[in-house]
Amino acid sequence: MKRFDIELTVGLFIIAGILCLGYLSVKLGRMEILGGKGYEVYALFSNSGGLKDGSSVVIAGVDVGRVKSIALEDYQARVVINVADGVELQEDAIASIKTKGLIGEKFIEITPGGSETVIPPGGRIRETQPPIDFEQVISKYVFGKVD
Amino acid sequence: MNGVFEAMDLIRFCRNLLLFALIFAMATPVCAGVPTEKIRETTEKILSIVTDPDLEGPEKEEGRRALIRGAVDERFNWEEMSRRALARHWRKLNDTQKKDFTALFAKLLERTYLDKVEDYSGEQVTYVNEVIDGEYALVEVKILTTKGTEIPVHYKLRKKGEDWRVYDIAIEGVSLVNNYRVQFNDIITKSSYEALVKKLQEKVAEK
Repeated sequence: MKRFDIELTVGLFIIAGILCLGYLSVKLGRMEILGGKGYEVYALFSNSGGLKDGSSVVIAGVDVGRVKSIALEDYQARVVINVADGVELQEDAIASIKTKGLIGEKFIEITPGGSETVIPPGGRIRETQPPIDFEQVISKYVFGKVD
Repeated sequence: MNGVFEAMDLIRFCRNLLLFALIFAMATPVCAGVPTEKIRETTEKILSIVTDPDLEGPEKEEGRRALIRGAVDERFNWEEMSRRALARHWRKLNDTQKKDFTALFAKLLERTYLDKVEDYSGEQVTYVNEVIDGEYALVEVKILTTKGTEIPVHYKLRKKGEDWRVYDIAIEGVSLVNNYRVQFNDIITKSSYEALVKKLQEKVAEK
């Protein structure tokens, strides 16, 4: 009987541990940094250049959302982002794809605009800037100058 | 990192040069909807001013520049560009300040780029694409420099009444409005709006 009790207890602990692990994985996997559901908006980029699902969306250096999905629409990249509730995006806000850190991780930076109109949930960020391939641009102009 | 900054200056210089080269280069329309037509009209107007033999020479400079400015004013919506560049700081201004800033910003852009307008040397412009989405339009253009480099330039226009006016230009993907928006915001948040105005006035005054 004693042995059975110990085994039962151990078994229950293991199950509890697995459940906790599972819960943690799901929670972290969804990367909920915002607490609250947030709302979705989308933007069209001529080139999404290495942006991934889950990439950060940043305003003034602060995380305000995540990239939810990236799909090809009409030969452009349709990027859907999830923005934290309470963060308003003006109609003339500009979304640019930038590179962060040594690894070259891509993220979206939004510069707020001056319009009175706010982008509604499901709306579109009209002004976008694709990632700039610095090497290509520099070589273009360096070549042009060396005469 | 210094190398990158020099390169950026270089890029900016060439960009500026070609930004205004495009305004008066020969246009070859590929798909001409109304917005493309408007861009072409302004381009050709300025081209005709710059190549007009009656307006040549340094003594005619005042008059020539006034004409070019007039043609550019027709096509660019300075107020919209100012609003977008100042972004959230715009609504804090009263009407007089808004008017003054719009004029100052237009002058800054003129001072920064007008010099190069007259340096036209045969750059070619091809109209690549046009997308109209309600009251917004995008006109994609390619400038072929004399050295053979192709520069993609995107005009962003918005319908104002019956007319299409430019509210942003993107060269190699880099937006003019975004460029100034970031810098203006930096200066206003670090110092003040008045400090920004002073800086711009100084820039406009320097020669």
